[in-house]
This record gives sequence, C-alpha cells and structure tokens, in this order.
Amino acid sequence: MSAPVPVMTVPGEPPPTTDAVRATGLTRTYGRGATAVHALAGVDVAFARGAFTAIMGPSGSGKSTLMHCLAGLDAPTGGQVFLGDTELTRLRDDQLTKLRRERIGFVFQSFNLLPVLDARENIVLPMQLAGRRPDPAWFDAVVARLGLRDRLRHRPAELSGGQQQRVAVARALLSRPDVVFADEPTGNLDSRSGAEVLDLLRSSVRETGQTVVMVTHDPSAAAYADRVVLLADGRLAGEIDSPTADTVLSALRGLGA
Amino acid sequence: MFRVTLSGLRAHAARLVASTVAIVIAVGFVVATLTLSETTRDTMLEAVGARYVSAEVVVTSTTGEPVDGVAREIAGVPGVQAVDLATSTSVQALVPGRSGAQYLLVDSVAEDPALRWQQLADGALPDRPGEAAVSERVGADVGDVITVTTYAEDGVEESSQVTVVGVVDLGGDPGAGLNGRAFVSGDQVQAWGALGPSEVRVAGTGGTDADALAATVRDALAGQDVDVRTGEEQAVREAEGLTGDAEVLTLMLLVFGTVALLVAGLVIANTFAVLLAQRTRELALLRCVGATARQIRRSVLAEAALTGVAASALGVGVGIGLAALVSALVGTDSPIPLAGVSVPLSAVLGGLAVGTLTTLVAALAPARAATRVAPLAALRPLDPAPLRSRGGLLRLVAGLLLVVPGAAAMALGTAESEVLLSVGGGALSFLGVVLLAQRAIPPVVAATGRLVRSGGVTARLAGGNATRNPRRTAATATALLIGVTLTTAMVVGAASTRATAQAGLAAQYPTDVVVTGNTDDGIPAALPGRLATIDGVRAAAGLSAGGVTGPDGYEGWTLGVDPAQAAPVLRSTDDLPLPSEGTAVLPWWTVEGWGVEDGGEVVLTGDDGAARTFTVALGDTDHPLLTTADLESLDPDAVADTVWLRLDDGADQADVVDEITDVAGSLVPTASVSGLASERAALDEVVDVLLLIVTGLLGVAVLIALIGVGNTLALSVVERRQENGLLRALGLTRGQVRGLLAWEATLVAGVAAVLGVLLGAGYGLIGVASVLGGQGEVVLSFPWLQVAAIVVVATVAGLVASVLPARRAARIPPVAALAG
Repeated sequence: MSAPVPVMTVPGEPPPTTDAVRATGLTRTYGRGATAVHALAGVDVAFARGAFTAIMGPSGSGKSTLMHCLAGLDAPTGGQVFLGDTELTRLRDDQLTKLRRERIGFVFQSFNLLPVLDARENIVLPMQLAGRRPDPAWFDAVVARLGLRDRLRHRPAELSGGQQQRVAVARALLSRPDVVFADEPTGNLDSRSGAEVLDLLRSSVRETGQTVVMVTHDPSAAAYADRVVLLADGRLAGEIDSPTADTVLSALRGLGA
Repeated sequence: MFRVTLSGLRAHAARLVASTVAIVIAVGFVVATLTLSETTRDTMLEAVGARYVSAEVVVTSTTGEPVDGVAREIAGVPGVQAVDLATSTSVQALVPGRSGAQYLLVDSVAEDPALRWQQLADGALPDRPGEAAVSERVGADVGDVITVTTYAEDGVEESSQVTVVGVVDLGGDPGAGLNGRAFVSGDQVQAWGALGPSEVRVAGTGGTDADALAATVRDALAGQDVDVRTGEEQAVREAEGLTGDAEVLTLMLLVFGTVALLVAGLVIANTFAVLLAQRTRELALLRCVGATARQIRRSVLAEAALTGVAASALGVGVGIGLAALVSALVGTDSPIPLAGVSVPLSAVLGGLAVGTLTTLVAALAPARAATRVAPLAALRPLDPAPLRSRGGLLRLVAGLLLVVPGAAAMALGTAESEVLLSVGGGALSFLGVVLLAQRAIPPVVAATGRLVRSGGVTARLAGGNATRNPRRTAATATALLIGVTLTTAMVVGAASTRATAQAGLAAQYPTDVVVTGNTDDGIPAALPGRLATIDGVRAAAGLSAGGVTGPDGYEGWTLGVDPAQAAPVLRSTDDLPLPSEGTAVLPWWTVEGWGVEDGGEVVLTGDDGAARTFTVALGDTDHPLLTTADLESLDPDAVADTVWLRLDDGADQADVVDEITDVAGSLVPTASVSGLASERAALDEVVDVLLLIVTGLLGVAVLIALIGVGNTLALSVVERRQENGLLRALGLTRGQVRGLLAWEATLVAGVAAVLGVLLGAGYGLIGVASVLGGQGEVVLSFPWLQVAAIVVVATVAGLVASVLPARRAARIPPVAALAG
C-alpha cells in the first residue's frame, strides 16, 4: 500500500477539493493593547484528505491554538477555517457542537475518557450524542484493530494509560469523521504504548484513508506522519515531507528550539 | 499562618456563600423566635399591666375569699391615698344594632380618679349605676342603651338597662379581642351579682416608693390570708399566666430552630469537606514548606470560626428584622398580640454562640481530614477516586445501635400508649436513621440512576456522576431527607389528628345545628323544608315533641323523630342511635332513674293512659327519643318543635348559621339556634393554622438543604471542569450540559424526597397512634395529595437549585479539556 502524496497548497489559490481542512489568514490574539499575545499571527495552511500530518513547533509557537481553531474548539480572532466546504468561522456554538460530534474525532493528551462510563460507552458517546447508531461491523472492526475486545466493560480507572488512549482512538475513529485531531496523544504514555498508539493512527490513514492531524513536540512521534508542518511565533516556519526523527530534529534546531 | 487563613477566606469567599446562607437562615430563625417570644411577653405585660399602672400596691386573697374586710385597715395605713375594691362579674347583653346576646365581662371602675386606669376612646367613665363604659369589641356607641340579662341566686332571670357613657381602648390586652368588656360603678357590679371584691388596689400619696408602701401594708395586714404585691409584681404574675401558651409555642419553634441548625450543620460540614478536598494540593504545599499538621488544623478551624461569627452576626440581624416584620404584620389585634420589638440580650448572644459553634463543630471532621494530607500530595496529580473511610463502618454500627432500640421503644410506646416512650424512641431512631442514611443513600441513588438510563445519554452520565462521591451525595441528600421526613411526619400526623378529632366530635355531637322553637304552639311545619333550602345546608329533619310518662310516674318531655329523614342529617350514630318502630332511645340517666338497661324493655304511658312497651337503646340524648309515629300514638297533641340540620362541609359555617338564625327568627321569634358547626370549623382552622406554621418552619430546613444541593453541584462543576470541557469537545451542546446537571440534581433530590416521605409517613402514623391511642379510637388518614406535593416540591426545588451551577457548567469552553 502506498502513502497518498502530500499536497502543498499555495496561499490565495482556490481550495483544492482534496483538502480536508484549510485555514486562511488565521489570527488569534489573547488580551489587548500592550499585553496582547498573538498566538497566531496570520496562518495559511491546508491538510490533504487521507493524509497523516503532524504540527510541530517550540513551546509557545501556537501549535495547540492552531489545532483548537481548526477543530472548532476555539474561535479565531481573524481569518477563515474550512472543514471540507463548511466554513467553521461562520457557525454558531450549537452548530459547531453538532459539527464536532458528527464530523470531527478527538484524541487528547490526558483526561480523554469519562470516568463514569465504561470503555464501550465512551467509544460510542459522540455518536450517541448525535443520536446515531454505530455500524456494528465497523465497531467490531475498530475494536478488533485496537485490541479492545476484552476491555469493553472496563471503566477507565481499570485500564492502563495505553489502553485508555486506544479507547480514545477508537472513539475518534468510530464515526468515520472528516478529520481526527490528536493533541499530544503520546504525551502521557511510556514509549512502547506511545508507539502503539502512533502505529494505530498511521494504519487508520493507510488502510481506511482517514485524515489525521496531530500536534506533538516529539520528533520521533512526528516521524510517523506523512508530512510535518512547522510553526514558530504564530507563523508557518516550513514543512517536511516524509519526515524522519532526524530531519524533524534538525529542522526544529533551525527554529531555535 | 493566620495571614494564610485570611487570604484563603478571601479567595474562597464565593464558595463559602452556601455555608454562610445556611447559618444566616438558621441563626436568624432562632433569634426571631426568641425575639418574638420576648416581644409577646412585653406586649402582654404592658396590656395586663395597664390596670395596675396607677396602683402602687395590690392586695389579693390567698384563699379566694373576698377581700373587702381588709379595705378599711389598708385605708388607714400611712402613705395610702386611695383604695379601690376591684369587683367583677359577667352578664349577657343585648346591644342595639347587633343580633343576639353577647357575653360581657364586667369590671368595677375605681371611685378615686387616681386608681382609674382605663384609656377612653370616647365619652367618660361611669359615675353611677345605670351607666357603663364598654370596650370597642362590644360595638356600642356613647348614648346606646344596653339591655343586660342576669340571673339571681334562685335562677330567676332579671333584666336591666344601662346607658353607654364611654368607650374604652384596651390596647394590646389579649382578652380584648375575645369577649366584650364593660366597666360600671362598683354598686352596679354588685347589683349584677358580683361575688365581692377579688383584689384591693392601693394608690399611695405622691412620691411614695411602691416597695416601701407594699412593706408597710404587708406589716399592717400581717396574719391575714392575703398576698401583698406591688402593682408591677402583680402585672408580671398575671402576664405569666397568660403567656403560658405563648411559651409552649416558643418551645416548639425552638425545636424547629434546632432542626434548622442541624441541617445547616450538615450543609456546612459538606461545604468544608469539599473546599478542603479541592485544596489538597494547597494544603500539601503548606506542609512541604514547613507547616505542621497542627497549624493546618488551626488554620481550617480559624476559617470556620470566622465564617461562623460573620454569618451568625448577619443571622442575628436578619432574625431581628424578621421579628420586626412579623410584629408589624400581626400587630395587637390577634390572640398573641405584638407591639414593636423587644430584643433580649440572650437572643443576640445565644444566636451568635449557636451559629458559631455549629459551624465549628461541622468543620471539625473536615479539619481532621485536612491534617492527614501528606506533603507529597502537592507533587502528585490529584486522585479523583473517593476514599473508603473507617467512619462508614462506625456509622453503620452506631446507626443500628440507635435505630433498633429506638424502634423497639417506639413500638412498645405505641402498644402501651406511653407517649414519652414513643417520643424518646422516635428521636433515638431518627438519629440512627440519619446515620444510616449516609450509607443507604448512595446505593439507592445508583439504582435509581440505572432506572433512568433509558432517559438518554445525559441521564446515564448524570446517574454515574451522582454516585461518584458517595459521601458527598449522602450528606447532601441527608440534609434534604431530614427536612422532608419531618415535614411529612407533621402533615400526616396532623391529617390523622384532625380525622380522629372530627370523628370524636361527630360521635359526640352528631348534629351540626339544632333549631328549637321554645314555644308551646310548635313551629310551622314548613320550617324544616325552608331551612333545608338555605345555601350551605345539606339536610334537615324536623322533630316533634310531646309529653310521655315514664315508669317513675312523671310526665317528661319526649322527642319524636323520623329515622329515615334524620339518618342523612346525623354525622354519626355511634353515640346517638336513631329509634326504629317500637324502640325508645333513652338518656343515660334512665338507667338509674327508671331502672332500665340497654336492650331491655321499658313501659311508657301516653296521655290517655294507654301503656306501650318499648325496647330500650341508650344514647347521648337529653330527652327520650321515639319515632314520630310512636310519639303520636302516645301523645296525639305532640307538636313540631325542633329541627336538626347538617351543613355542607365546605360551607362558611358562620355565614350559614347566621342565615339559619335569620330565617328561623323571622318565622318563629322565640327560636334559638345552637350547635357545634362553629366548633367543627374552629377545630379545622386551628389544625390548619398549626400545620401552616409548622410546614413553614420545616420549609426553612428544606430551604437550607436545597442550598446544600446547589452548593454540592456548584463544587462538582468546578471539579469536573475538564470533564465538562471534554464533553463539550465531543459534542455535548450547552443545553445538554445543563440537562446533565439538572438530571443529577433531580436524582439526588428526588431520592431524598421519596425516602423522606416514606420515613415521615411512618413516623407520622406511629406518632398519631401513640399520642392519640390512649384516648380512644384512632382514625388514620393519609393526605396523599399533600404528600405527593411534598415530593414534587422537593424534587422541583432540587432542579431549581441546579440552575445556577448548570449555567456555569455550560459556559465552560471545550478547550478546557485540553488545558490539562
């Protein structure tokens, strides 16, 4: 199986239909006046359908803010965000909420699962919130691929960190969302569990054409991606196709990280 | 360390609001009760004391004999200016413009102006027989002529007339609203049958010291059967006699105040436990930088003490304000008159002490827990899992040790009609129930949560959330449970008490209203039918009366009744059976007088000498009762004489009785109307008013408990900030977040309400059975509607308590989940 070719976009061009998510002129400012912080200072970026992209950058570069804005979790100060043909920046809170549960999947660094629900209930939660029934065959396939079949009745407190994160990945994949956003998904895991989770994310891209966007500060995690987008001081600072841990590390050094 | 406590208080002020409000309400309640009680006492003292204002010394008999014998001696005592022999009696009086005779209490007016205490609203005080001053209640104006009926010693009715010369303002006298009062000259009181003076009021010459004068008079009267007191002492003494009832009420109110404090204590303990749980890291950091466990505990207790003092001070203010409000609303025109506010120092100090102590005691356990925080906890991520405590087992054992003997005592007390045993057992077992509830509630909430799982994903999440911190849920629900249990017990108890009392009243007085013609010619045959058409009269039965000779040879007044017609009129035939053909219902005195027995036979003789034998049924009747046909067979001259009436239950009894009086009076001028309709209505009213007061008071406890529900939810919202953010990120809309909290509140409040109602119903029924069981048959009545209303109100109020926390939860941005 061959990896889909990463697509570069040029700012200002009409959106190619192959983009899953796209942002133009994105700014996000916290505070105002002299104390204002420009977390994003004008970012144009696009993420191709069926690709695994990593967003990287030093602390404070704005990579988390970028992901929050792309995922409809935070409202940008300026610019536009498109999910497919939908402009997120025009939606009201309730519409955004519905869009999140129907078209976006999330994997977070920590506190990913609801402690009062068991693994199965956690996995189907977004679909239930949307009032949809999960496709049983697809549910079985996802659960089998993530090795969770024996753990479905367990509550999060009874699962290891790696197992919890696999449940979170299953939850993100179950609704076949347009994009899965992962925010430091390996940040709280030991290296073996981390590698497992990254493998699962990559294989979902390779085998089912899932689009995945991941924020990370770990070069070896970024090496699992098809493409790395580099961010510094709230601006795009370059990108790397078919990255390895070494190329990513040296690129980051170049940014002064 | 104290500086840390202070800044901590400032930082957490918002979260202490619930504790503060709980204490303010509870303390305010206690202070208002004490203040109102003191105000009542002062108002009464002033009102009762009015008649002693001008008297330096009052001499009363210790034996009840008239005291006129000592008057002359007193008058001779140096320093005595005037002596008044106070006499009193009572009369029936007809006032122009008012129908029916009224009962007047008559007092003599002092001859010497120095001893006249009455405040005139109009006119003057009487100087001679034939004149009278009356209280406003009488409804007469200056110039009216009042016709007074008295009875001489031989029982002969005498009539006399007096002219009203003045109207007296009695102010807050508690007797002013009940009966009319008349003030006449001493001679007139004697003429109306007074029994000689009951007390001698003495005025001193100008500038005399009351105590010194009393001592002089006491010396002069040494050896006689009299008490000598100063006017002030006498006023206090009489006011105390009158405020006896008010003191029972105060005691009752304080019991409810205690309940409110108990509930407030639970809410406060909960708040502190949660506040400290959230500050584990902060406390651990303090330990890391060198604070000892002792210092931590002192800091927590100092925080509680400061909160307690501030809230109690506020509560004292609120209580006094509340008392002033009640006083202004009630005024002096009520059975318990109130004028202004008298704040006893004991209420202020007591309120402060009780509020602060409750807060401190409630904070003790959380403070102890805080000292167990290890310094390392500052460096570890927070563990949200609830801790299993040793206290749980202790509670279970203590609870069972209280419940089992308590319930046994209650059962024994009910069986043996030993009220004190039942009450003690009830209190003991309820304490045990409160302890056990802490353990029992979480599983019940969990089970209920599983039941509502079909309510969708939010209901399911809420069910899980409600039992995440079992101890907190238990404490929250227990506070509500206490209030609901006591309210229900009161409502159920009152309903059964009323039913029992009404049944007793119905058996004893089966007719609501009796109209008697009081004439030998009989009443018009149409009267019963005419009375039956009055709005509010449900049924009427006419009775005839005639003369029948009994076995003792004397002819006696005998009534004839149509059983078919009378049956729907009587509320009960338990004590008064209706005669059937050939049966005579006889009064109890005939057992001795005629030598008859129930079920035996009696021979009655008619006008023409013909004798008939009747079967005897004994009953509560003044005269023998036969069927109309039987009476006519013995006395063909029997005339229609009496009408029995039954009123509609919902009718305004007073209005209906007034109309009956009018109709009967217009057809038969001599007719008199009597009956227990008004007593029945009065009983209902008393029970209703008591119930209203008690429910209102317990409502305070429920209110405090609901503040606790809101508080617990608010703290959960703070704790679950990240989790709620995650839910928002995963697609929970703001409305669904609010729904989540609403479900959680409803679940906890609903379970507490249902359990409380079940417990309360049990306690209420047992309470009635043990209190009334000793006094005859108990009629148990269960007010389904009111009990259902309690459940609904408590649950809905829980829902309302979730509104503010839910709004805060819905505002949490989804990004909050990622900022972890």
